[in-house]
Amino acid sequence: MAARKIAKVEVKRDLCIGASPCVIAAPGAMELDADNKAVYKLKDGQRLSGPVERALLEDPTVDDDTLLTAAQSCPVKAIYLYDEEGKQIFPE
Amino acid sequence: MAETRYLIIGGGVAGTTAADTIRKQDATGAITIVSDEPYRFYSRIMISKLHYFLGKVPADQIWLKKEEWYRDNRVNLIAGRTAAKLDTAAKTVILDDGTMLGYDKLLLAIGIRARRWTVPGSDKQGIHYVRTLDDFKGITADVKTARQAVVIGGGAIGFEVCELFQASGLDTTLVIREPHYWDPVLDAGSGQMIEKALEKAGVKIVRGKYVTEAYGGERVEGVILESGEKLPCQIVSVGIGGVCPLDFAKAAGLATNRGLVANEYLETSAPDIWAAGDCAEYQDLIFGERTQFGSWSNAQSQGRTVGANMSGRHEPYRLVTFYAVSGLGLSIAFIGSVAPPGAGRDVVPRGSPEANSYARLLLKDNRIVGATLMNRTADIGPISKLIEKQTDVAGRYSELADTNFDLKSLLS
Repeated sequence: MAARKIAKVEVKRDLCIGASPCVIAAPGAMELDADNKAVYKLKDGQRLSGPVERALLEDPTVDDDTLLTAAQSCPVKAIYLYDEEGKQIFPE
Repeated sequence: MAETRYLIIGGGVAGTTAADTIRKQDATGAITIVSDEPYRFYSRIMISKLHYFLGKVPADQIWLKKEEWYRDNRVNLIAGRTAAKLDTAAKTVILDDGTMLGYDKLLLAIGIRARRWTVPGSDKQGIHYVRTLDDFKGITADVKTARQAVVIGGGAIGFEVCELFQASGLDTTLVIREPHYWDPVLDAGSGQMIEKALEKAGVKIVRGKYVTEAYGGERVEGVILESGEKLPCQIVSVGIGGVCPLDFAKAAGLATNRGLVANEYLETSAPDIWAAGDCAEYQDLIFGERTQFGSWSNAQSQGRTVGANMSGRHEPYRLVTFYAVSGLGLSIAFIGSVAPPGAGRDVVPRGSPEANSYARLLLKDNRIVGATLMNRTADIGPISKLIEKQTDVAGRYSELADTNFDLKSLLS
């Protein structure tokens, strides 16, 4: 696991193909929307591909490892993770 | 003879995910992956995706592990070699170059291969399958000079390739031997939605006919239909299903059927040998029957389970299988068991082809066991959960059919 903490998460919608391994890896944080694109589940009930602040995720128990595993599981590298300085953590 | 604690045959998503999982649980045990392709782990999914095909994302995006990953995790990758012989008593595998590898624990994640097309002329240049990175390289090279294309087979690959060829400016004809697209997994209404989308994009469709021959010199110049009609073309894509390369396992005495037979722990019939991914015909705990399902997410999840089990755990595999493909304004998804409806199975339609939004819920004993969905993505989540929980829906068929009815309300 990268030492840097995840501060922001994003699904690039133009790349996402809805294959859904991210949803299997992080069911507490992600789901597919009506367009068959992955979205993050936010506290306020919104479902957004992002970029969104990690702190706004609905389930606070989802840890960095899970978010990273979900990103790594994407077969088209559509999931981007950023640290507190806005630097890209993943894809590496 | 080289000894390795964990030997993995197959360097795709199931095998690589298993290695990743093992290394997290066992920091020191030697891991060796043997891949019959001359590459490290890449995205097999990406090779048929429009963005990648048209070069809209960098070519390097295809690699899902860096070379350093193998070094840093002490995973020894033997690429471009095939496992030729397995001795379950001596616990050895001999590769096609004669190398002998001893193992403590063996994973067979050998995948499936594109089913070969065997008509006369089917080995001509310009005729392609869509399974490997080398296939992709061949197609992208030939697409540059081709003007007319023929696509054979009505499945996921055929659908994707038609879009790729049209987007590349090729005059494309699809030939399916069935009366409608994806028959018999899809009904005529669903299949015709796909056909309409293809035709709208400019693809010509020949239904209910076989191609009997590919003609030309060294390179393909066209194909001949059973009616005698010729379709000139400079490139052919063949997507007529997949087969598991089972000879190696069969010769070693492992139980096989269409795939490698495994229990719910993904253990094969031989001690210390597991199976995972497209090749695994495993005991599905949700339906209580043996299942084989080729999809990225299934292979990846099985890689996780099998990696954990090889390095000391004992967890059953349990997942509602899912496969999706989209393009040309259509989103097509299969959930759970989508074998064609037969005895003891009910089908409840939800939506309609006319509304361009149409699902078929497949039921057995008043429980949903599978579904095919055309442009009904929002139903995927609730249907998966209804399948997983085996919710009794007796007497609720009219509600299931009503698109205004919220399927989630059945879950509470």
